[in-house]
Amino acid sequence: MEFIAGTVVMIGIFVILASSYNLIIGYGGLNTVAHPIFFALGAYTAALLGAHAGLPPILGVIAGIAVAVIAAVVLAVTTLRISGDYLLIASLGFQLGLLQLVNNFEFTGGPSGVSDIPLTLAGPNRGLIYVAITLASAVVVVWAIWRTMNSPFGRVVRAMRDDELACAALGRSLISIKILIFSMGCGAAGLAGGIYAYYFQYISPEQFQVAQSAQILTMVVLGGIGTTLGPIVGALVLVALPQAINFLHLPSSMVGPVQGIIFTSLVISFLFLRPGGLVGKTGSGAAH
Amino acid sequence: MEPILRLDDLCKAFGGIVVSDHVNLTIDAGEVLGLIGPNGAGKTSLFNLISGVVAPDSGNIFLQGRDIARLALHNRARAGVARTWQHMRLFRTMTVLENLLMGPRDYPGESLLGSVLGLARVARAEAEARDRAMSILDRMGLAQAADAIVVDLPFGQQKLIGLARSLMNDGRLLLLDEPMAGVEGSNYETMQRVVHDEAMAGRAVCVVEHNVSFIKDLCTTAVFMAQGKILQRGTVDELTKSKILTELYFGVAEAH
Repeated sequence: MEFIAGTVVMIGIFVILASSYNLIIGYGGLNTVAHPIFFALGAYTAALLGAHAGLPPILGVIAGIAVAVIAAVVLAVTTLRISGDYLLIASLGFQLGLLQLVNNFEFTGGPSGVSDIPLTLAGPNRGLIYVAITLASAVVVVWAIWRTMNSPFGRVVRAMRDDELACAALGRSLISIKILIFSMGCGAAGLAGGIYAYYFQYISPEQFQVAQSAQILTMVVLGGIGTTLGPIVGALVLVALPQAINFLHLPSSMVGPVQGIIFTSLVISFLFLRPGGLVGKTGSGAAH
Repeated sequence: MEPILRLDDLCKAFGGIVVSDHVNLTIDAGEVLGLIGPNGAGKTSLFNLISGVVAPDSGNIFLQGRDIARLALHNRARAGVARTWQHMRLFRTMTVLENLLMGPRDYPGESLLGSVLGLARVARAEAEARDRAMSILDRMGLAQAADAIVVDLPFGQQKLIGLARSLMNDGRLLLLDEPMAGVEGSNYETMQRVVHDEAMAGRAVCVVEHNVSFIKDLCTTAVFMAQGKILQRGTVDELTKSKILTELYFGVAEAH
């Protein structure tokens, strides 16, 4: 039961991460690989405030969101005047630099991470309660993104992705739009981090490497970039599938390579056969 | 009376290439002014300077008496500069109506919270923008295409939608960059009629076109540009009869 609950919690967390990454990269067209560090900022803030300041979990998670949003605004204000490849490089530097700090500071636990996060919601139903909290949080995040993208503000975001120059020449201030969607997406990653820290009670820099961006991006692309449902389906498939492979009882040395082959084959197949993803449209109006 | 647009000694160079060489120009309300000249004359660059895509090196741009030369691109549009593009630059994943809804100067979706929470003020502005967009599409005979994805429409209709989107900006200056290129038949007539009506309604319209017959159909007056300079201003007939300008535009056949 605990195994299933853990898997569902991970699905919920990755739904939040993939949906918020989709908001930034899929809807907004802002190429960033820094999403894992905002996940980490939420997790570390919640964990440290819980472990050392005795803050209640809910306040720890809120503080985690706030820190992620503040860091996002700092990154956005300094880098979002640039775009495309330059933004990608700036976000890579932010991700690597900040994670190095986390890796080296004493108060963050260095490479060993934080392992004394207090047990919350103890009891036989802990797993189920966390499943409910995580899924409810995922629903709120997905709904907020859907509502945003189906509002007049969301129309500007899509227009900006299609053609920045034309959008600005119609009177839209792109910098403020970019800052808003970037901080909104990163705040959601912070929320995912807070839940992750309190559920698993252990975090370390190893869990927030830049490679995680590729994992989240794969979920977004596989499900359907620039769609609401796509990241949900992508997260579901890519979190559940590795767990399903465990039931094949392969030798442990084989599990990793088999997972790698399956994921790579899936991504390549989708690129050729269904570039819009599992739920994405095809044709001229397809998300891109 | 103050002209809608007045350019005072406007200069811009990219390295050694001068695209605007001390340009002085006025456009009045109700006027449709054609910009003609050979490739590289600086016509589209002048549009980019006026609309704020590039900043001038020196000089002033007065829109209804207000100097807008130092305003950012988006603030020029809010000040009342509407423009189209040579390559249309429509929002390709969006519908025709959505493209037009991006155009108003006082766009309802500028505030994230107001937009997401569906505040009454935003909803009212959105409804007004929809009415205005449908009215413009109706004038162009495109109302039935409102929900079509814009790139699924024929080229001529996309050109009209580019014009329709610019008309959502209710400012007084309209810059049209090659609006007639590739437009034929009923779409051509519609374009001509709408531009004429907008001028009659009090807008100042400036049109860049390569094809002189298009300029004759559209414009009341024209200026001839070459190498970033305005060489002459007059009626289209006067300019096309000028031997020097004709040679500059079409070149001179070599004698054998």
